Amino acid sequence: MLQKREKVLLLRTFQGRTLRIVREHYLRPCVPCHSPLCPQPAACSHDGKLLSSDVTHYVIPDWKVVQDYLEILEFPELKGIIFMQTACQAVQHQRGRRQYNKLRNLLKDARHDCILFANEFQQCCYLPRERGESMEKWQTRSIYNAAVWYYHHCQDRMPIVMVTEDEEAIQQYGSETEGVFVITFKNYLDNFWPDLKAAHELCDSILQSRRERENESQESHGKEYPEHLPLEVLEAGIKSGRYIQGILNVNKHRAQIEAFVRLQGASSKDSDLVSDILIHGMKARNRSIHGDVVVVELLPKNEWKGRTVALCENDCDDKASGESPSEPMPTGRVVGILQKNWRDYVVTFPSKEEVQSQGKNAQKILVTPWDYRIPKIRISTQQAETLQDFRVVVRIDSWESTSVYPNGHFVRVLGRIGDLEGEIATILVENSISVIPFSEAQMCEMPVNTPESPWKVSPEEEQKRKDLRKSHLVFSIDPKGCEDVDDTLSVRTLNNGNLELGVHIADVTHFVAPNSYIDIEARTRATTYYLADRRYDMLPSVLSADLCSLLGGVDRYAVSIMWELDKASYEIKKVWSNKTLADSLDNANDPHDPIVNRLLRSMATQAMSNALYFSTGSCAEEEFHHYGLALDKYTHFTSPIRRYSDIVVHRLLMAAISKDKKMEIKGNLFSNKDLEELCRHINNRNQAAQHSQKQSTELFQCMYFKDKDPATEERCISDGVIYSIRTNGVLLFIPRFGIKGAAYLKNKDGLVISCGPDSCSEWKPGSLQRFQNKITSTTTDGESVTFHLFDHVTVRISIQASRCHSDTIRLEIISNKPYKIPNTELIHQSSPLLKSELVKEVTKSVEEAQLAQEVKVNIIQEEYQEYRQTKGRSLYTLLEEIRDLALLDVSNNYGI
Amino acid sequence: MAGLELLSDQGYRVDGRRAGELRKIQARMGVFAQADGSAYIEQGNTKALAVVYGPHEIRGSRARALPDRALVNCQYSSATFSTGERKRRPHGDRKSCEMGLQLRQTFEAAILTQLHPRSQIDIYVLQADGGTYAACVNAATLAVLDAGIPMRDFVCACSAGFVDGTALADLSHVEEAAGGPQLALALLPASGQIALLEMDARLHEDHLERVLEAAAQAARDVHTLLDRVVRQHVREASILLGD
Repeated sequence: MLQKREKVLLLRTFQGRTLRIVREHYLRPCVPCHSPLCPQPAACSHDGKLLSSDVTHYVIPDWKVVQDYLEILEFPELKGIIFMQTACQAVQHQRGRRQYNKLRNLLKDARHDCILFANEFQQCCYLPRERGESMEKWQTRSIYNAAVWYYHHCQDRMPIVMVTEDEEAIQQYGSETEGVFVITFKNYLDNFWPDLKAAHELCDSILQSRRERENESQESHGKEYPEHLPLEVLEAGIKSGRYIQGILNVNKHRAQIEAFVRLQGASSKDSDLVSDILIHGMKARNRSIHGDVVVVELLPKNEWKGRTVALCENDCDDKASGESPSEPMPTGRVVGILQKNWRDYVVTFPSKEEVQSQGKNAQKILVTPWDYRIPKIRISTQQAETLQDFRVVVRIDSWESTSVYPNGHFVRVLGRIGDLEGEIATILVENSISVIPFSEAQMCEMPVNTPESPWKVSPEEEQKRKDLRKSHLVFSIDPKGCEDVDDTLSVRTLNNGNLELGVHIADVTHFVAPNSYIDIEARTRATTYYLADRRYDMLPSVLSADLCSLLGGVDRYAVSIMWELDKASYEIKKVWSNKTLADSLDNANDPHDPIVNRLLRSMATQAMSNALYFSTGSCAEEEFHHYGLALDKYTHFTSPIRRYSDIVVHRLLMAAISKDKKMEIKGNLFSNKDLEELCRHINNRNQAAQHSQKQSTELFQCMYFKDKDPATEERCISDGVIYSIRTNGVLLFIPRFGIKGAAYLKNKDGLVISCGPDSCSEWKPGSLQRFQNKITSTTTDGESVTFHLFDHVTVRISIQASRCHSDTIRLEIISNKPYKIPNTELIHQSSPLLKSELVKEVTKSVEEAQLAQEVKVNIIQEEYQEYRQTKGRSLYTLLEEIRDLALLDVSNNYGI
Repeated sequence: MAGLELLSDQGYRVDGRRAGELRKIQARMGVFAQADGSAYIEQGNTKALAVVYGPHEIRGSRARALPDRALVNCQYSSATFSTGERKRRPHGDRKSCEMGLQLRQTFEAAILTQLHPRSQIDIYVLQADGGTYAACVNAATLAVLDAGIPMRDFVCACSAGFVDGTALADLSHVEEAAGGPQLALALLPASGQIALLEMDARLHEDHLERVLEAAAQAARDVHTLLDRVVRQHVREASILLGD
């Protein structure tokens, strides 16, 4: 039976009057306690997760602890956490949606041992707020009372630790009930988790940054930025069309000056703006960070500015200002931020000399993020000196309008600067990829296949499934030695003369039950990440490389699709083709130069926007088409081992089949809303996978050239093709290494390039003139040299080292003639790829090629690691393999 | 401050109920001696008082009389002190006219009008905290029963809403004010016939059935409660009569 109570709230309205609100509040005798020690499990009706039974105590954080130390409570080592509803509501009301969603996800995540106890709806736990009692006191009192009840509910068998920051509460409640301890959070960490160093460090850094903030708010400085407008004003402004909502995109090459706001949703429809909105300067950006959802106000037309088209490096300040920018475009300023998309950032502490130049205020240190687009972050820490040579993860806490830079705190160390593992970890963190090894609970769900107890086909499954082992010859088109074969083919002639074509795909969903631990983990990862030298699997290797891999000579479960083709007309019944794209590409070719052809193709595919996943329930049918493949409808399900989207499609197909057979449909299919959410997640992860792949490739390229002296080393000089022209330089593609980069025709001192009769280049005073498909450099003494689009030139490759960011490759044109090949290497590499093959590769899938490379690359890498050999020829072959990747890099649409 | 969470991940609503649970209902019949029938109902904090006069001759213009059945006349008004902020509502404003009309339609469907030439129902709401229409119908049902006017069945009403893919029964004021879809249903529980169904927000067709089912289940629950009240009332009355 429910008991009714009434809660009287006194609210202050916007006009300042008090408003009396009466709300009902129902209490119930039984609220799920989610504890395995519960004496009446039937009455408590647990659904969802239980606390694990192998903990020594339960810990109940106070509302203040949940608000401030949630990051530490997220550590998987901390177990048996009970979040009280009172504390959760305090987070919801006072910390905003972002923090609250973090807490909700933590509670939903089956991997974390924490639960929510709805203490305010339990009739013994609920305490009405007394007259004159402050909200904070009432919250602490409620949580303590609930903790005591919980202790007695578990029949005093499990000690409970309540952690609070309220000294008064510790004194008052500390010794009131035996078995319920009340201590501070710091004390708790010291006593119960003395070995969890990361948590201690995080705790210190949170404490320190909070102290700083308090100090700062007391001193009132002059404002550096205008205040953000309140949410109501923003929403009304967006509705009326006065403001525009969009996502902030900082220009990587001019992070200090240029940012663009990509219009979002409805606001782009009714305004007549076609382009993005330029945000010029940090002031106009008003504390928003790359990726935030911001609200922008347009400036009057006479204040509009143009974007710069000249090539430029980040460190050049205003050198480019002499050159005329392009047409003025809509320019605006940020008036508010709707959603902050702050994540973990990898930063580098300044070196010793720089610290000294920063002056006496050594407690607060400005660190430089690895990502150019993120502003410097102010960290207060005493460990600055020890952390100097490391890549470090930090989080942003706040950005007050009085401060030029955002405040943050230190989270953890990744690795040494320049060290391969450290740099790879950096790439992973920057792309928000988490690749912790699979946990024990997850591995427990996996079938066993060891030499001692080999995995066998179970008899029940054998009956349910159609046996193709005897009747069909099934073959794989993956290269020899490939580990994860997820699709195979079969073809045979039927008795009636027709052809039967079959596609057989590994039945991953058989092993991965919906909402199991492994399923949740795979969903979070969404895809297998391929870096240049390694991969991070979506599923444990027992599945991906063994039981779900359709290897030769072993029995495996599969999902098969068969087509019967008429023997005469089977060509018409082909399932799909990529004709349109293939044609348009084939027409653009230069019979004399295979490299240019390849460039053209890669550029054509790059120009097309990447395909995305979406849920069919949320788009109109006309929007279903796939541009890259020129198809009306397209989905894929051929690689469930390494794409979570394919697992989803598999489950849908299975449901559709079982519906036909009038079998019960399992209630584990996603709703449209969940699917939409999932699609967004998968798209985001795919992009992260592509970025990390590209960045790791570049990392290897840089490491390859790093210890070579560009002046003497033969390999640093190579042939390059111009594929784009800018006002002060050209973009080059180097087919030998698959590198793309920019080369300047005008250097920082304003000198231009000139090529003498021996075609060697030197810097002389002069001017540049840009045309549509060529650029001419004329020196003051009348010499001139012209570079056309797709010209071959000789370039020298060098490395521009950077402490805070990734190293970059620098190209320098040393001659306007093609590079003479001194040895036979190039002949081998320029063996022309068949056009049709390439098109197929670009449009359909690059995975097979990648997999093949993966294997080779791994071996090479091991050698390198083991013997510490100079990266000579072996790494050259490695780069050879990567070359194709780089060509297809982010442009490849991953087969969808 | 983040927006109000109408349904938590654990399945609790703002006031601690689960999705299908009703607010507390208390009712009494025969609260006024003067009227032919009267009833008082509390659904949570919504309190409604219904009075029935009749069947009696048509008052006012004779032209309104119907030759073959009774005329059901409904009036709805809410007290100035029924909402959080005291607000004077002039008689016959749009909202109360609409409510009167809806009540009339509901009861014309339920009362065996052809047996009686004339009847009049007046309903007064004292405090509104969500689900006004449902409370009025339930109160009026009891009042009509109290007056001894023959009806086909009880008319039981309940509202239902839809939040995050879950149908919520019997919305409170907070949930109504949040602006989601809201559906009011008046049901004849024995036959399962619908006397009135009203919804003035957009709701996807796919969800309608679930919301409707939630409202119908809630209305059946209301019926159980009202039935208990009527039986209790009859028992007390028969003791007074000395049977």
